[in-house]
Amino acid sequence: MNDQMASADELTYTRIFDAPRDLVFRCMIEPERLTHFWGPIGTSTPLDGIKIDARPGGVFETVMVNDADGSRYPIRAVYVEVIEPEKLVWTEPDTGVTTTSTFSALGDARTEVRIHQTNVPEAFRSPEAQAGFKTSLDRFATYLRTAS
Amino acid sequence: MTLVDDRLDATFAALADPTRRAIVARLATGDATVNELAEPFDISLPGISKHLKMLERCGLISRTRRAQFRPCHLEREVLDTAVDWIEANRRVWTERFDKLDVYLNHEGNRQ
Repeated sequence: MNDQMASADELTYTRIFDAPRDLVFRCMIEPERLTHFWGPIGTSTPLDGIKIDARPGGVFETVMVNDADGSRYPIRAVYVEVIEPEKLVWTEPDTGVTTTSTFSALGDARTEVRIHQTNVPEAFRSPEAQAGFKTSLDRFATYLRTAS
Repeated sequence: MTLVDDRLDATFAALADPTRRAIVARLATGDATVNELAEPFDISLPGISKHLKMLERCGLISRTRRAQFRPCHLEREVLDTAVDWIEANRRVWTERFDKLDVYLNHEGNRQ
């Protein structure tokens, strides 16, 4: 996996999957698929906490649950752009971070997914965003510690 | 824009440059003078000074006014918030992708 800071306020991650593009795209917008992989190691993302309305203005909400102590980590986002099966853009109103996922068919039933996040410093801007972010981070750090 | 906003933008801008990241990494091991910081790089002293000024402006480093060699000091708190988030975020996407890979490799999930 490559990750790098493209510029001051951007982050990019890419990964190639051995699966056709339609399927990889569906994994990102179908709750019964997303539930299997969305939470990082040591967490679950239960099906009943996932809300996906994949169209501009529609919600994308998930709750990651810490397997060790049951604490919950909700993330609220709203879709900005949905182009099946090429592109998904969502933004998190609480932090201002916008995530663009691009799906490229590589021609041999493999798919490259590129995640590009912008407005990262926005997440540190207002005192409210900073407080929310700090809380999320603290809870998140707890997950990661339990997981490793 | 408040001073805090400016600083955060500047922090990310500062960390986007490989030379400045290397300087920050060096200072994480302890204070250092400009000459010490310049040593590993093929850059002139004025070049290094420019990088240091940028790091100083966003509050990532500070320099003692009175000491003769004005050693540079890393202000960890400014760095930590930004780095913590980037690291947590990177880890989430890595693990998410690892799990998606496993999911996609189960034949039953490929319809």
